[in-house]
Amino acid sequence: MKSGFRSLSTGRLLIVAAVIAIISGASVGLGVGYVIHYDAPTTRTFYMFDRSLPFNESVFGYPHDTFVPDTITVNKGDHVLIHFADIESTPEGHTFTMDAPYTLSAVVYKNVTQGGGVAGTFTDVPGVILGQSQTATITFTANWAGTFRFYCAIHQPTMTGYLVVIG
Amino acid sequence: MKFLRWSAVALLLVTGIIDLYYGNSFAGFYENLWYVMGGIYVFAALVIAANIEPRFSQLTVFAYTVFLWSVWATVALETGTGLDAVAYADKAIEAFLAVNMVLLFRSSRRV
Repeated sequence: MKSGFRSLSTGRLLIVAAVIAIISGASVGLGVGYVIHYDAPTTRTFYMFDRSLPFNESVFGYPHDTFVPDTITVNKGDHVLIHFADIESTPEGHTFTMDAPYTLSAVVYKNVTQGGGVAGTFTDVPGVILGQSQTATITFTANWAGTFRFYCAIHQPTMTGYLVVIG
Repeated sequence: MKFLRWSAVALLLVTGIIDLYYGNSFAGFYENLWYVMGGIYVFAALVIAANIEPRFSQLTVFAYTVFLWSVWATVALETGTGLDAVAYADKAIEAFLAVNMVLLFRSSRRV
């Protein structure tokens, strides 16, 4: 006497397997969809500036420049858009540079005295440099989870920030 | 039947590799799940190729394929994610794979 698995016809076995698979797949899909619904990758926009702290650099032996904000937190997969402005009151440049594995794309704009407009467009570069009163739009996708340094290559070690990517 | 078995193996390997690629290069979230899904497909390809417990393994692979299709369709409907060229290609191949597994299973049961 045949029993269980062998007692069902081929067609019925396939139908039973398909129905079980579809129901369980839809259930899992609903659960996964619910979880990722609130974490779906999105574009996160930040406005970032340089800031000079009120102390004498020559007394302490390191720069008084920092990033504001110095930490940006995003979810993994997010597209990050940073509007970075060099707001120095004196002619002083800053870079926005990221540690590997991150690279960035950027559009750097001329300052008002330069007549405005685009000064340069960059793709997949580790960083860009801005002069006084210049701005840049910096974009990248947060593909790797973890904490990653971004920094001004001119003003180390103080002008350092961290990208926190929640994975 | 041999043709159906080897076409199933080829489709399983292609789908598995696409899933691994998707997890490595494309998925913003839950890439580990894609590695698992791809790994299972590659493992299934080996099982089908070796013809181990064919009546059980073929039915299981068919159910697994339909299961993943159902998961993808539900998540896509609910969130709008997973609607990209790589996912479409993956799911199209999975549809062929499901049909392939039905034909293979039916021919195996006749033997």
